Amino acid sequence: MTDNNLHKEQQIVDHLIGTFQNLSGKVKREKRVEVSIEKKQISSVLNYVKDHLGFVHFSHMSCVDWIEDGYFELVYILWSPKQKVQLLVKALVDRENPSVENVDMIWRQVNTYQREIREMYGIDFSGMKGAQDFILEDWDEIPPMRRDFITDEYVKEVYFERPGREDAKDVRETLVKRSGEEIPDFAKKYSRD
Amino acid sequence: MAFFDIKGLVTPFTALKQFGKAPHTVTYPYNKKETAERYRGLHFNDLEQCIGCGNCSTICMNEAIDMINIDGINGDKGDSGLRPRVDNGRCCWCALCVEVCPTGSLNLTKDYIYVTPDADSFLWTPGVSNPEGKDNISFYSDVDTSLSMFNRVPMPELDGKERIKSFAETMLYYTEEAAREEANRCISCGLCTEVCPDHMHIPEYINAIANAEDEDAIRIIYDNNPLGELCGKVCTRRCEDVCAMQVRGDAVAIRWLKEYAVGRAETADMLREIVNPDIQEPNGKKVGIIGAGPSGLTAAYYLALKGFDVTIYESNSYAGGMTMYGIPKYRLPMDSLNKQIDYMKSIGVKIEFNTHVGKDISFDDIYNQYDAVFVGIGFQKPYNMGIEGEDAIGAIPAVGLLFDVNNGKTPDVGNKVIVIGGGNVAIDGARVSRRLGAEVTIMYRRRVKDMPADWEEIEGAEHEGVEIMPQTIPVEIIKDENNKVKAIKYLRAEMVADDKGGRPRPVPIEGSETIMECTTVIGAIGQEADYSFLPEEYRNKIEINRGRMVVNDDMQTADSKIFAGGDAVNRTADAISAIADGFKAVKSIEKFLLK
Amino acid sequence: MMREKATTLYLGPQHPGITGNMMIKLKVEGDTVVKAETHVGYLHRGFEKLMERRNWLQSFTIVCRICVPEPDPNELNYSRAVEEIEGREVPERAQWIRTLMMELSRLASYLLWFGGQNGSAGLYTMPQWTVGDRDYILDLFEELTGGRVYHMYIWPGGVRRDLPEGFASRVLQTMDYLEKRLLQYDQLMFDNTVFQKRAQGIGWIDPAKAIEWGVVGPPLRGAGIKSDVRIDDPYLVYDKLDFEVPTQSGSDVWSRSLVRRAEFQQSINMVRQIIDKMPEGPVYNKIPNPMKWNIPAGDAYVKSESARGEFGYYVVSDGGNKPRRVHVKGPAYVHGVTLLENILQGANISDVSFIMNSLGTCPPEIER
Repeated sequence: MTDNNLHKEQQIVDHLIGTFQNLSGKVKREKRVEVSIEKKQISSVLNYVKDHLGFVHFSHMSCVDWIEDGYFELVYILWSPKQKVQLLVKALVDRENPSVENVDMIWRQVNTYQREIREMYGIDFSGMKGAQDFILEDWDEIPPMRRDFITDEYVKEVYFERPGREDAKDVRETLVKRSGEEIPDFAKKYSRD
Repeated sequence: MAFFDIKGLVTPFTALKQFGKAPHTVTYPYNKKETAERYRGLHFNDLEQCIGCGNCSTICMNEAIDMINIDGINGDKGDSGLRPRVDNGRCCWCALCVEVCPTGSLNLTKDYIYVTPDADSFLWTPGVSNPEGKDNISFYSDVDTSLSMFNRVPMPELDGKERIKSFAETMLYYTEEAAREEANRCISCGLCTEVCPDHMHIPEYINAIANAEDEDAIRIIYDNNPLGELCGKVCTRRCEDVCAMQVRGDAVAIRWLKEYAVGRAETADMLREIVNPDIQEPNGKKVGIIGAGPSGLTAAYYLALKGFDVTIYESNSYAGGMTMYGIPKYRLPMDSLNKQIDYMKSIGVKIEFNTHVGKDISFDDIYNQYDAVFVGIGFQKPYNMGIEGEDAIGAIPAVGLLFDVNNGKTPDVGNKVIVIGGGNVAIDGARVSRRLGAEVTIMYRRRVKDMPADWEEIEGAEHEGVEIMPQTIPVEIIKDENNKVKAIKYLRAEMVADDKGGRPRPVPIEGSETIMECTTVIGAIGQEADYSFLPEEYRNKIEINRGRMVVNDDMQTADSKIFAGGDAVNRTADAISAIADGFKAVKSIEKFLLK
Repeated sequence: MMREKATTLYLGPQHPGITGNMMIKLKVEGDTVVKAETHVGYLHRGFEKLMERRNWLQSFTIVCRICVPEPDPNELNYSRAVEEIEGREVPERAQWIRTLMMELSRLASYLLWFGGQNGSAGLYTMPQWTVGDRDYILDLFEELTGGRVYHMYIWPGGVRRDLPEGFASRVLQTMDYLEKRLLQYDQLMFDNTVFQKRAQGIGWIDPAKAIEWGVVGPPLRGAGIKSDVRIDDPYLVYDKLDFEVPTQSGSDVWSRSLVRRAEFQQSINMVRQIIDKMPEGPVYNKIPNPMKWNIPAGDAYVKSESARGEFGYYVVSDGGNKPRRVHVKGPAYVHGVTLLENILQGANISDVSFIMNSLGTCPPEIER
């Protein structure tokens, strides 16, 4: 695999940068290209790459919750069977009132991916048809894949501990008690969790 | 294809020829299939080998392993006393616990059948529930495949032949990258903290270094040890002897990481800024401390932080006690010690140098002037060698030589030095003599492996060309007409096993007298305390047992106003024990004066 | 003339014709399906959320449970994604062993598929044969990894242990045995007129639209399109092996069965080549202390060709010691929902499970 032969990948990136405003992109390695766009361009970019650049195979669609920065990142992963290049299209969606346009008329199967993301993250795909529930049934907490849904707390609320394991001890605490050591509070975060 | 494809309709019937064949994956009569060599079945733990570090419990991603107390197993130094118990309802038999076990005691066996009508008996204590599992081990992890990192990051040091030309520091210590890599080896079990006399918070500061939080590491060290860099350079490191990693590999370099952390603050001001201690308001009580050794300095530091008015009386011109005057500069450079002491002075510790209690100021004055007194005088007086001719010129105690050298003098030891003794002081004397230009031979009564000195020091001495003669007993120093040392007469000894099961004793071999020419003989067979500063009435009050002051658990002597610590009190006689004594005394003094 | 009213039938979640646990809500008029709706959610274990709280090494023990018939592509993809983000080199011998695991796993999956496809048609002799033969491959796995179905053997940095003594000869023996059995399968299934008549013309996918609808794997190759991740985007050591990618043009259940049968033969050849060409060397590039192992920030989408199609893993790291996001896409994600709903329209009710099997639907990977 020659590294310096990234000609066709670079061509794709340059073409897209030239065609769309506010689009940034780069070549990650051989056969891997990535572009970042704004959310209002999603439909036009996806249509364009499907019709004109040969990215006809829709591989995957995913969502990442960047709660510290306040947005969701939608990632569309496409593959071009002719040129054998994989394209990642990334768009940021605001975390308060997330809403994106529906693109399942471009590829039919996107409907399934969107249904799951709507259920798991709470992003509204305006104009999408399809049953509400995909995986979860009778779910009335916040969308579970969001980072502020803490599985630990949910489990403690809903399920009960099976008895028999209450005599578990912590190794560090046992040693501390035996030796009379006193760990200062600011150091406790470095102890083993 | 035509609809009535006779061949296609008939061929499937060939399957009927399987009718009479015997089953091929299960044998009749039933013979249990041989399980594979690597099968991942139920757990087995060797209860003797297990040290209760809890690493299996941490890595288990199902939180299936608990550490519990088991009847008959009590924790001791290097063993927490807890043993793992597996919740078989949650375990997925991924064997990660086996891969990270540092001692290799936890393994998986070939058993996979566990049938019981009791639905609540899903808890399985490996080793206790299946003691016969030892013969059935199938999945194990040895030193090559284990995920524990057994090899220590090597520490660069100066070349042996080159470094005897000066008193430059021999160890070059860790760079930032090497320190982070070394800190990543630690599994944070905490077994080391129990054997450290001062109970330093070791996993916490190592994790701080691994997370690139060096300032937090310094603060954690200073929580109960104000001489962290000193310990980082010269501690006896009992912690590393029980580190979980040393069972099958190299211990984590706890001591050198401490040196790295405190070494990041290069000046006393930086130390002050980083530690930024909370100094309490003066509470009006005064404490006098005799001896600015590690125990005295530690007590002074923490008492000053708690608002006491502290003064230390030191008979020499520099603080540090044996660490300043007994440890050569190539192990502990002046600037390092001064930095730590300057920082202590900056928070309010007062030191009166060149003030010998008993001569320049009387003990009585101190006793009456202060609300409490802490005595940390150490063992400064060397024992006599006990052989004929030791009054010759040139027969000197090691502590005397080290004292002179550290004070800046360059004594003339001639070109051939004999050192008698096998402890750290003897090795220090030998290596210092090498740097003063002499050929050095160490004579020790027992074998090399019986020498109480640090193995690192012995190795360093050997690299520097010091000759070690084990099983050698000197009997006489031969003087010339000017009463100077000319030669030494010694006997060889053989080791005779002790009938009572103790250490073998050296027995001199009759007729093996040999004479070796030399210019200086250095004696390093031990020291004792100098109680001459203490007036008669106090000496009668305080109990002195075999040269050591007797204290209760609160470091108090029989006179409740006098506290004591350090070499003159404890049996282990190293720097960290002295620091621990000083730290303990602070709590007691606080209780005594402020209740 | 009275119009027949449509009845709603629920196929599943407990049904011998379904490959797993999912429910298909069918609206039938007489014998013909008018509308189909897939309902999943019976096997949702929340793996992706679980992995957010476990560090990189602990997560690898979870991923193999996402797909039951073929757990190895999961382990492989997860490890490859982590290695790509971190830039970790994998030793040569480990790559070959991984390829061996993948091909053996493909054989095991195909054997299970032979059973399932025929079981849904009523020919129950095949499942009995193939599940028994699959046991031989599971024995090989047990010897190599210590577990029969869930191996937890391929982890980031290489594989866990080296091949045991005599393993290579046992693999070759098993391959010889399977090759002989393939001829017996031919006699029972592929040369069987009843099966042929049953399978031809059923479950047709339009080849012109196949790629656009997201069809992957044997259904795509059964539609005449030569597409295989192993040659389009080579990974492991597939570029050093000599194999063909078979295609058929019928685009119905019969074509897909022929494609799978041809691939079965190809896999046996590949296993033989791997055993022959495997180099010596270490098998593991050790990771640092697992509790403190941080992966630099980045993301990667890796895919591999499992027995049922393109299996994809999208892994995102934020520089910490736990994954930020692991998103698994199995081939059944498209085949089992939108594609199935589409091609079941107009199908006969007894063909529903037949078509499902030919697409290789596996519900656990739809809902993880």
